[in-house]
Amino acid sequence: MSKQARRRLDDRGAFGKADAVGMREGGLPARVAVVYGGPSPEHDVSILTGLQAVHALSGASGVGSVRSLYWSKSGDWYEVQPGAEATHFLEGVPPQAVRLRMISGPGGGFVRPGSGLRARDDRLEIDALLICCHGGPGEDGSLQGALDLTGLRYTGPTASGAALGMDKLAFAALMVYAGLPALERVPLHRDSEQPGFAPPYIVKPRFGGSSIGIEVVADFETARARVGANPHLRRGAVLEPYHEEMYDLQLAARSWPELQLSAIERPLRTRAGGEILGYEDKYVGSQGMTSAPRELPAQIEPSLTERIRALATEVASLVGLRGAARLDFLSDGRDVFINEVNTIPGSLSHYLWIEPRLSFTSQLLDLLTEATARPAAVYSSAGSDGSVLRVAGSIASKLG
Amino acid sequence: MTVVGSVALGACTLAIVCADLRWFRVAQREHYLAGALARFSWRWVASMPINGGLALLAVAGAATAAVVPPAAIVTGGTLAIWPLGLGVRGRTSRLAWTRRMSLVALVSVALEALAVGLGAAFAGLSGAVVAAAFSACGAPLLIDVALMLLRPVEELLAQRYVRRATGVLARVKPLVVGITGSYGKTTTKNYVAHLLAGERSVVASPRSFNNRAGLTRTVNEHLTPGTEVLVAEMGAYGRGEIAELCAWLRPEIAVITSIGPSHLERFGSLERTLEAKAEITAGARVVVLNIDDARLEGLAKRLDATHKVVRASGTDPGADVAVLAHGDGLELKLEGAPYGVAVPQAGSPVPIRTNAACAAAVALELGLRPETVAQRLGSLPGVPNRLQRHRADGGYVVLDDTFNSNPAGARHALDALASEAPTGRRMLVTPGMVELGGTQRSENASFAEAAAAVVTEVVVVGRTNRAAILQGCRRAVTSVPVKVVADRSEAVVWSRAQLGPGDAVLFENDLPDHFP
Repeated sequence: MSKQARRRLDDRGAFGKADAVGMREGGLPARVAVVYGGPSPEHDVSILTGLQAVHALSGASGVGSVRSLYWSKSGDWYEVQPGAEATHFLEGVPPQAVRLRMISGPGGGFVRPGSGLRARDDRLEIDALLICCHGGPGEDGSLQGALDLTGLRYTGPTASGAALGMDKLAFAALMVYAGLPALERVPLHRDSEQPGFAPPYIVKPRFGGSSIGIEVVADFETARARVGANPHLRRGAVLEPYHEEMYDLQLAARSWPELQLSAIERPLRTRAGGEILGYEDKYVGSQGMTSAPRELPAQIEPSLTERIRALATEVASLVGLRGAARLDFLSDGRDVFINEVNTIPGSLSHYLWIEPRLSFTSQLLDLLTEATARPAAVYSSAGSDGSVLRVAGSIASKLG
Repeated sequence: MTVVGSVALGACTLAIVCADLRWFRVAQREHYLAGALARFSWRWVASMPINGGLALLAVAGAATAAVVPPAAIVTGGTLAIWPLGLGVRGRTSRLAWTRRMSLVALVSVALEALAVGLGAAFAGLSGAVVAAAFSACGAPLLIDVALMLLRPVEELLAQRYVRRATGVLARVKPLVVGITGSYGKTTTKNYVAHLLAGERSVVASPRSFNNRAGLTRTVNEHLTPGTEVLVAEMGAYGRGEIAELCAWLRPEIAVITSIGPSHLERFGSLERTLEAKAEITAGARVVVLNIDDARLEGLAKRLDATHKVVRASGTDPGADVAVLAHGDGLELKLEGAPYGVAVPQAGSPVPIRTNAACAAAVALELGLRPETVAQRLGSLPGVPNRLQRHRADGGYVVLDDTFNSNPAGARHALDALASEAPTGRRMLVTPGMVELGGTQRSENASFAEAAAAVVTEVVVVGRTNRAAILQGCRRAVTSVPVKVVADRSEAVVWSRAQLGPGDAVLFENDLPDHFP
């Protein structure tokens, strides 16, 4: 065993221990941290994804230390013992969690604030973060932007990619602009005009990562009334035609080592009259999406499969797909429409990788490698060489 | 002498360790209240005379050890297992080594070590043996002292959490709904959260978090920025506690669900309970009161001059907000005007109408349309272990009402049992109710008497209320067979062997294993 490999083994599972292992030869970061939770409606689901990831990475070959970083509903950061179970989060922050602070700026990141006898902040040595946050600021670019400012490397979408994926209206507009098939989608507010398409309608939060807040309504008046009432629609809402006969088709896409597409699944409706796959269908039950009723691979025409794969490739390039995303389509069996992109899907959609089969651990290791090999943000100050400042004269004269 | 003395000292030390582990667990279960361990020691003596005998033996051994040190071995041996029935590890809840528990343990052990050290300083090994023997005898009392000493420390630490929570509240600025009452707080809180879901962004205190520690935790760890409504359940064991919670939570809407003999031994009287609960109204803009409770109806009259009072009822159609039984469904009436009937799906949890009326009043106060509220009353959630209905593998119906028990709720559960198996066997399994002060014996006896008229057999669990329940059953007009078991698992085995399709069993209350 090489000296380096032995050191890596020694650091395995070191809770709360700052170590100095550095980067592995193949570019796989050795000191990783899994980030989950967050002030989002999908906080609880994110905990499940995060704990699955911590479990899969602990002891994975090439990974030195795995930290478990919990972002609470109220927005605080904690480091949690790697052995924590979902039930430990039932009452709030799990016992023995250590509170952290996120510091921006060069050399920033997560620190354990000093107190009492230990005056100095302790910086957590982390080579890459695996982001497992669903919905809210963990998937809309906020967290990504904050991490860019700390200089930490992370998996999944970039700040702008996440923001685009979270904005249903902007995403659909981009699809239409690129000439790709998408259903009508218009902004909805309290004084919106009747749209050009016929009821029934489906009302969705403009910003939101799941089916939370989505309602099917019979007429336009009801749709407009819901905008004021439903708290999930306060930040913005979109209106779409509701086609009873259409069903969902989804596939996963990942961007490392190169763009790859998974098998296509067809989620099945469970409740009689259940219009869409609801939050409870998706997540209630400890296995999350893995146990939701589905057809995998979906029994559809080969031509439809080909069409969806071709569209998925185009969408991936348009949105600058990074990490492991899920692309959702709607189909009536003949035509297919792009519905939305989920940039950090529940369980990172690992259950969709059936051919070729991809283990959860391998998927996570590829994500982490991409995090460092293809950083999400690169800043540049080229052009700000002082020439503008030199000729500017006094600021006061500019205002006069 | 040295060898025998060392053995005696070892035996007493072992007894101290066992006693500490045992009583630390009880202290944790009893919310670290100083004095709780003395009370529980008495409970174990009072309900099992053999524990009284053993205690006397242990003290006699310790006293004799002053003259004959080996007598301390008797003390050590006895106290290692005392009181019989209270295990070191525990069945229902293990000791959790939290920060607070560690501190209590540290101070308790320090007190015990101090005693032994002083004994040794004054009279060498034999002094140490006597001191250790008496420390073992007095372990629960020494831990009570440690709890008392640590109270100011815990107070300071708690204030830190309160300050942080106050800061979070000032940032997020939710409207706070405070809910208190002797019974029905958790149910009402869950009903409010259910009625508001999809209309307001709501955070409710989880589980039964209802004291300062639980509520600061709710605010510090659960209050997501952007939350519009915080529903806070507030409990109290005495005067001033609700006022203290209100000082930083500042509920704008205050709800009192009921006044009853819960925690009566700490309140003293129902009048004092009412005054303690009424503290929640002091700074509130709107007060919602369950006027099915005569004391709360009285309070409503008193508050009319100073507050906007909303009278909620599960029976009075003329109340400001009434949720009434209507066939299989619930009807919402506002000042007598009907707003619709919602029929719950078959098999859903049994709704509690007075709590539903209070929750509806809150939802309406927050601007929900009456039609929306009326419709949502059809899908009220249940509280886990609060009158939940399952079907057992044996085909009989299980009513699980083990959440905690009070006289009114227990009668309600008996009614449910009666309608579950009108022709089959109806079994009641219960350890009785606790925390009822001087009325505990009579309340349990009259509950048993009422049960005898409804059920076909009674299973008494444990010893805590055994005598009272047996007395009630004897007093009853209809005689009913009674079976006595040691703990709940034994009762479950018994009911499985006895019941079949068409039968029903009600599990009324469950006591953790630190109760005899």
